Amino acid sequence: MNQEQQLKLQSFLDGELPESEAREILAWTQRDSAAAGLLAELRNTRAAMAKSEPHLSVPETREFFWSKIQREIRRLEPSKKTAPEISIFAALRRFLFPAGALAALVMILHFRGSTPATDNLADADTPTVETTLASTDATTYRDASEGTTLVWFSPAADNSLVPSKKPTAIN
Amino acid sequence: MSTKFFSPTRLVCAALFFLLIAGATARAADLALEADLVSGSNDPQAKGTPVSPQIEKKLGRLPLKWQHYFVVNSQQFSVANGESKDVSLSDACQISVKNLGGEQVQLTLMSSGQNVGKIKQSLKKGQTLVAGGNAGNSIVVLRQAD
Repeated sequence: MNQEQQLKLQSFLDGELPESEAREILAWTQRDSAAAGLLAELRNTRAAMAKSEPHLSVPETREFFWSKIQREIRRLEPSKKTAPEISIFAALRRFLFPAGALAALVMILHFRGSTPATDNLADADTPTVETTLASTDATTYRDASEGTTLVWFSPAADNSLVPSKKPTAIN
Repeated sequence: MSTKFFSPTRLVCAALFFLLIAGATARAADLALEADLVSGSNDPQAKGTPVSPQIEKKLGRLPLKWQHYFVVNSQQFSVANGESKDVSLSDACQISVKNLGGEQVQLTLMSSGQNVGKIKQSLKKGQTLVAGGNAGNSIVVLRQAD
């Protein structure tokens, strides 16, 4: 039995042959025991495969099952870029960003430049006293709790004009 | 066309502009000050208007020999940032106040036209600068005007 005859038997078993040819094959299998044996073997094989084919069932409905797959596909697809919103501020954003940065810079420079005295004072609450007369001394007393600063100018050799009822408190 | 008026970017930009305007406004603000020429005495019945209780309390805590203080002259004035103001409190006592910005002042004390000394000091609301010297029982009290 050649390969073409074997294929004829397979086609016969699958019902793919015209009726006349099918009758010839049937007659041939009745005459030829080898053909009959092969046909029987093919039938058994098909039956065995049909029984062992796994039958899978899905717990959800068909529509729900496929909708899940569809959602998953959409999720994995790269999101399409939506058209940018057109707004007044969006159009001005190019201007507002640098303008905001510039404003911040101006403010920093402004506050740095507006308090030059701060740089000269270690502590803004501590007075800086400068006597303009060579023979004059300055005595400073600070009452932090009341926010009061006393500066007393007096002749260098004479402290009697700094009358003190609390002399130990004078700096 | 859709508009979002309160996005973070816009709020930040708006805040920066407001701060810039506020900063410019603050810089332009004058410093309102009050300078008092005060005489000290141990006589409670001395001639003159007593200083306010607030000032009396402050002066009472200072190492001065007097118990009571009276206002001889009081001047209210304002000084623009970076500017100076000359104030005559009496024939013998003059002061010059410069606004250094940031609520800091430079007080120049003059006695009969002679420069005695300069004091740089922060003078925030509630703070008081008291200066005195060889002028008998007179002292200068400088503070921000109420």
